[in-house]
Amino acid sequence: MLSKIFEALYLKVLVNIIVKRATIVVYVELHSKKGAIDNVNAEFETITPNEKMIDFINSYVKESPYYYISILDYASIQGALPTCDKHRIPYYTDLSDSEYKCYNNSWIYYTSKTQLYEIEKTYKSIGIDFIFSPFVILADFFKDKIIGKIALYALVQEGYVSIAVFQQGELLYAEHLDMQANTEVEDILLTNDLSDDIDLDIDDGGIDLENIDVEDEGTELEDFGNIEDLDSMEDIDEFDDSKDVEEELLESVDTLEESTEGSFNEDYQRFSLIQTSISHYYKDERYKSQFLENMYIADAVGVSSDLKKYLEEEMFLNVYIRHTELDAEVCELAKEELGLL
Amino acid sequence: MKYSYIKPRKKTPFTPDVQLIVTFFSITIIMLLSTYAFLLFKDYSFVQNRRELISSRLDLEKSIEKMDDKIAYIKRQKALAEKIFTQNMVLKDSIENLFDLVPERITLSRAELLKNGLILYGITPSKDVYNFMLQAPLRSIFQKTYTSFYSQKNGWLRFVSTNYINEDEGEELDSED
Repeated sequence: MLSKIFEALYLKVLVNIIVKRATIVVYVELHSKKGAIDNVNAEFETITPNEKMIDFINSYVKESPYYYISILDYASIQGALPTCDKHRIPYYTDLSDSEYKCYNNSWIYYTSKTQLYEIEKTYKSIGIDFIFSPFVILADFFKDKIIGKIALYALVQEGYVSIAVFQQGELLYAEHLDMQANTEVEDILLTNDLSDDIDLDIDDGGIDLENIDVEDEGTELEDFGNIEDLDSMEDIDEFDDSKDVEEELLESVDTLEESTEGSFNEDYQRFSLIQTSISHYYKDERYKSQFLENMYIADAVGVSSDLKKYLEEEMFLNVYIRHTELDAEVCELAKEELGLL
Repeated sequence: MKYSYIKPRKKTPFTPDVQLIVTFFSITIIMLLSTYAFLLFKDYSFVQNRRELISSRLDLEKSIEKMDDKIAYIKRQKALAEKIFTQNMVLKDSIENLFDLVPERITLSRAELLKNGLILYGITPSKDVYNFMLQAPLRSIFQKTYTSFYSQKNGWLRFVSTNYINEDEGEELDSED
């Protein structure tokens, strides 16, 4: 009772931390009983909390004993599964070394325990109160959309893409894609491939067309070949008509950034990861795969129009991009946790 | 904990700064209250002492009055005792004088000292010896003197002399007692 009175007297300070590729964004919102009264954000050129960042956080934290520090989970090993049944989980993956939570008794999101402890250890100096999964952010951000028809949803962060397929609020498939890890793998593969090619060229004195593996390229087409919905052009026209008018209007207002060389590479990488993941979704029998018609992207980095173009042209998706501020979204979740909404 | 992987740390309004301030104010308030309580106790104690002193003063005053009365009574007793002593001394002297008055020829067999008189029993060779040698001094002391004679075989006389002083003087002595 006494603590409730004190809680009502003090401001609530919500500190939200987003770890990017080379920087950390700290968003602070001061919340009174009437609502948010002030907010401030700052970006620090570090990936682990340095003295400047700790001082910045402490300057706000000391204003009230009721402060809550939230962070968006940046673990590379994380994801979501389309079940809340403990006995069904091993059917999809082994979560013995993962921490998981059930979302609305419908699906679970998980993360590596080791990486969770690592985050807590890294931020030991200021302490962490909440760690949120990007999948929760995604579900929360598109809560008006996921209850509808089947669609692909993606949360694009710097270095990560979290994708999920929802149908009427039910998760069908999800994957957390680490661009950094993928880049490293691709670099290794590319290096190996190049050396192999050079060897071949030297040995054979020319390109042997018979050695070119065309099956890999064909698989993508095969993925779509089994879908009955693509059998007639009429259906495709129907898809065009069923485009989300509301999202189209939103998009027309938003100006997509001009593609630069850097963002082009990154967007292509994102596209590539999404394509591979969706291919995996269609192939894997464990998931209820259905043809994806629409895709909604929560853009936290400012993707170029190229990504949309790739997705639309290569995967025949109607792509809608909504800009999002991750720090504010994390703050919203923290408010939900504290019952401030 | 709806969405977060971890539980938030328990928040308390008692930060080290608040704890310091609360401790400081608590000590100050405790000291003020204890001082106030001490003063209240002292005040109560003083009032009690005052009441006790007033009551003891009243008791002392009463006892002083009693003692004054006793002193006055003792003074009166002393005065009376002195008077009696003086009288006794006078009486003693009188008796001594009386026995000195008795001549050698008269023998006293018995003497009774009364409150206001003297009865003498004795033997005298003759009435004349008695009248001249004993009755005369007795008359000078006692206002009333009565003598009876009884003759003996040997010719001597046995006498009983009853002597009284004035009754007024006797009553005066009684009232003083």
